[in-house]
Amino acid sequence: MPQSSTPKMSARNVNVFYGEKQAIQNVSIDVDTDNVTAFIGPSGCGKSTFLRTLNRMNDTVASARVEGEITLDGENIYSSGMDVVQLRARVGMVFQKPNPFPKSIYDNIAYGPRIHGLASAKADLDVIVESSLRRAGLWDEVKDRLKDSGTALSGGQQQRLCIGRAIAVEPEVILMDEPCSALDPIATAKIEELIHELRGRYAIVIVTHNMQQAARVSQRTAFFHLGTLVEYGSTSEIFTNPREDRTKDYITGRYG
Amino acid sequence: MNGVAIVTLILGLGLVAWLSARAKAVRLAPAPSGGASRNRSGRPLLHSLPVYHGWYAALWVLAPALLFLVIWANVMPGLVTERALQDSAAAALPIDAMSRSAILTEARNVALGNAQAAFDPRANALIEPYRSAHRFYSLGGALAALMLAFAGGAFAFTRIRPDFRARTKVERVVMSALLVASLIAIVTTVGIVGSLLWESLRFFAMVNPFDFLFGLKWSPQSAAMGYGNEDAFGAVPLFWGTIFIGAIIAMFVAIPLGLMSAIYLTQYARPAARAWLKPMLEVLAGVPTVVYGYFAALTIAPNLRDFAAWVGISNASSESALAAGLVMGVMIIPFVSSMADDSINSVPQSMRDGSLAMGATTSETIKQVLIPAALPGVVGGVLLAVSRAIGETMIVVMAAGLAANLTLNPFASVTTVTTQIVQLLTGDQEFESAKTLAAFALGLVLFVVTLLLNIVALHVVKRYREAYE
Amino acid sequence: MNAPIPSTERRRAPTDWKGADMQKRIAARYSSERRFRMIGLTAILMSAGFLAFLLISMLHEGASGFTRTELAVRVDFPKAPIVIDPATLRGEGADAVLASVNWQALTDQAATGALGQDGVWIAPGAWLVMRDAVKADPSLLQKSVTLSLPASDDLDIAAKSDGSPEAEAAYARLDKAGIATRAVNWDFLTSSDATDPTQVGIWGAFKGSLLTMAVTLLLSFPVGVLAALYLEEYAPRNRWTDMIEVSINNLAAVPSIIFGLLGLAVFLNVMHLPRSAALVGGMTLALMTMPVIVIAGRNAIKAVPPSIRDAALGIGASPIQVVFHHVLPLALPGIMTGTIIGMARALGETAPLLMIGMRAFIASPPGGITDPATVLPVQIFLWSDEVSKGFVEKTSAAIIVLLLFLLSMNSIAIYLRNKFERRW
Repeated sequence: MPQSSTPKMSARNVNVFYGEKQAIQNVSIDVDTDNVTAFIGPSGCGKSTFLRTLNRMNDTVASARVEGEITLDGENIYSSGMDVVQLRARVGMVFQKPNPFPKSIYDNIAYGPRIHGLASAKADLDVIVESSLRRAGLWDEVKDRLKDSGTALSGGQQQRLCIGRAIAVEPEVILMDEPCSALDPIATAKIEELIHELRGRYAIVIVTHNMQQAARVSQRTAFFHLGTLVEYGSTSEIFTNPREDRTKDYITGRYG
Repeated sequence: MNGVAIVTLILGLGLVAWLSARAKAVRLAPAPSGGASRNRSGRPLLHSLPVYHGWYAALWVLAPALLFLVIWANVMPGLVTERALQDSAAAALPIDAMSRSAILTEARNVALGNAQAAFDPRANALIEPYRSAHRFYSLGGALAALMLAFAGGAFAFTRIRPDFRARTKVERVVMSALLVASLIAIVTTVGIVGSLLWESLRFFAMVNPFDFLFGLKWSPQSAAMGYGNEDAFGAVPLFWGTIFIGAIIAMFVAIPLGLMSAIYLTQYARPAARAWLKPMLEVLAGVPTVVYGYFAALTIAPNLRDFAAWVGISNASSESALAAGLVMGVMIIPFVSSMADDSINSVPQSMRDGSLAMGATTSETIKQVLIPAALPGVVGGVLLAVSRAIGETMIVVMAAGLAANLTLNPFASVTTVTTQIVQLLTGDQEFESAKTLAAFALGLVLFVVTLLLNIVALHVVKRYREAYE
Repeated sequence: MNAPIPSTERRRAPTDWKGADMQKRIAARYSSERRFRMIGLTAILMSAGFLAFLLISMLHEGASGFTRTELAVRVDFPKAPIVIDPATLRGEGADAVLASVNWQALTDQAATGALGQDGVWIAPGAWLVMRDAVKADPSLLQKSVTLSLPASDDLDIAAKSDGSPEAEAAYARLDKAGIATRAVNWDFLTSSDATDPTQVGIWGAFKGSLLTMAVTLLLSFPVGVLAALYLEEYAPRNRWTDMIEVSINNLAAVPSIIFGLLGLAVFLNVMHLPRSAALVGGMTLALMTMPVIVIAGRNAIKAVPPSIRDAALGIGASPIQVVFHHVLPLALPGIMTGTIIGMARALGETAPLLMIGMRAFIASPPGGITDPATVLPVQIFLWSDEVSKGFVEKTSAAIIVLLLFLLSMNSIAIYLRNKFERRW
């Protein structure tokens, strides 16, 4: 699969520390809109930590420190000119465990547009909510109960609600941190289908420890081990013909 | 023989029993060798360690004797009086029960050394009979207790055999002691409910409960003076004053300050600042209420009155509802803040992350996600705080007034349920009067209301905790 | 299944994050963020400010309560109308001899003699100082000595703050003459309640507090610990246990004045225990403190890991032995901390003690737990009600003593917690 010419986000020589402990060593990577990028690796390898540096969610951890350069459309997101509120609106995130707010389904989706002032009228907001829910593949299931609490939905529906919530602010990048690990296979299949549909519209990065899932949903795969990026390439290549022995050992199940 | 001496003596006997029973058990025990149940000397192994035999004997010495002494101490005064009355001097006593018992009390106090001399000369003749009767029965009681102690000890001593299960018996006693200790909580609750109900029922025999609960005029003085005005026990102004000070003014101070303090501590403060600020709030909670009351009365109230006069409120009272309410609010701040702290902390971190990841600022996250999510817990905490505020006594006794006004003016004086309880019970009046009994009726209302508030609040908080587990 | 995204749906124009409107909006959001943060900081600083204000005003008001104004009075004992042989004061019966003298008149006479008109500014209780001086050193009777006698309330106030014009003038006069001095009022720490503010002391109330606390501790600690052990280690899950738990949790939240009503109705009116006594006060407070100890005790016992119980049971200990040999010693520091906190609360408690009559005027320290007594917080309450201005500083001074007492108890609790806190 050809690599697109201009990467949406690119990281150069990124190091992440938690206090004295180094969690990420010298990672460089490009992410683009045409491909879904999967981060794989054994637990504790730093893939989630690295994902959280891409929208500066590590800022919420007092002891975390990020070195290196990460750019979004060529602009360094750790520069003083970058506003973290805007950044997170442009780089959305979906978490491991579905975390809908204890509000109605409608208010969950409308949360982002409201705080960022993306809709000037109620009608605009209705349109955004409907289109976001449609794109999240949830509209038909919930259109008659938009006033119900988001926490009353099933696990898979909750996760699609969270994806819809992220979509509602029209982000440019969506980061997904093991979005299916708390879901059953049927719900997982729906999320994966959704990822396919969203591809091309948003740059999608997904962290997963399920290699079949990485193979199914992504076009490019990055293998992390012990805080370093071991190998990054097209998914088919990584899974069929890895360059590194460590990658091969991992995908053949020697460790993990 | 006086009580302390006899108790000490019995405790000493217990020690002797413990030592000798243990020694006897040690002698019975085989020399340590081998694991068989019978060793070479043919003596069986002890079932229990010697120390348990010691405890067993000591319990048999102490328990019956001490139990007897407790019963005797309660029975003896009656017996003593009866015996003293059989003396010829008793014939001179008046028939009237009240003066009769007054004279007897005086004679008893002199005889037992609680008073120097009797005021009533008729009591003097009874002092000596009293003294001898007292001596007779206390000596008799002491002898009986000692005999019980010896009998118990002897019984226990004869039962010491290698196969005697002393440990099981002692442990059974310990077990019942544990059970009895935990039953005291129930006894206390029953005691509170029982005494409040009993005295309140007597009050409601004099005053219509409907008038009490819904009457608008509270003036126990006129009722006590015998005007027989039933309206005087209308408690609505008290209920209003309590709500006005404890649930409105105090919460106006405590909810915003407590909630915002908790938010700042949990969401903004650096760990170093939190390490100082949190104990500071705890100090605020540890200051005795009498100190708050004094502060409210001495410093806050006069300043508020001057302030009111300055802004042109003419009838401001120096015992204003506002002064008591403000200070009570400050007292409640740590309470609200620690409840809010707990509730906010139990909102899952993922919720906060979810909002921040959408690009919300910290304050937007707090206002739109954390507070709504923590709301049930916060509401439960506020209910508990209200329950504490309306039961608080010293601040209102010292800073709020005694005038039972139904007013919305915070600079006016109102009175509260607790203030009136103190007022009604600290004068010099007959215990049987409606005025005193009214205090118990007020106490019953206070107890029921705080109990309901607590039950509801704990229920809300519990449901809320379960929702996030 | 989900309907496909309608092809007619046009993609929303990308948000113009750099646009002027959006920048303005973001600036507004950030200033609202700063405002919110400031409100939070203000809230907590207001609480801190109130605490500081309270403590400082108490210290400010109360510090002068520990001092008194004294007047140097020259007493010429040989010339005074007093006929005692100093020798009689050295043996038995000295008190009787001392009691035969009209010290009041003697003092007044000496003061008028030494200070002239200003003799009226001697405190009504000054004769006690003179008597005690003679008692301590009978040889004074043959000498002419200068004694420092306490000044009256009015002069004391004039010396410390604003008194009446006459008192102010007199103080200015006496101060200039070097007669009036400021000295530490040791009597405040050693005497009891009195009607005259220059004579009051807190020892009586303090001793009452100690006796009451002793009764409370002796009753509530064993019962609380045993109940906690039972509930945490042995109680079967049944309706009785539930009732016990509900009772304990509710008792912990019952207003303290209700316990006072219980004490009045049961201990005084049914059991006829002595009114105003430390015994009844201690029993009432014990009922209040017991739930606190049970709750703290249960938490401490819960914190002992089950592995320790399993280990002890595994080597053949009986359930009672497990608890008394292993669990209780490990849980004790936690129980102690909870107990001290409960006792500190009981120490500051006033309302229930008013109900059982511990508001009596107690001019001499109680001798035992059945004597009429009062406690520090009640003494503070009683003094706060006094009209005389001299009581203001005494009340604040008593508050300082109470707060210091509480502070030391809480420090011990924190020390215990830090020293013995164990992470399993």
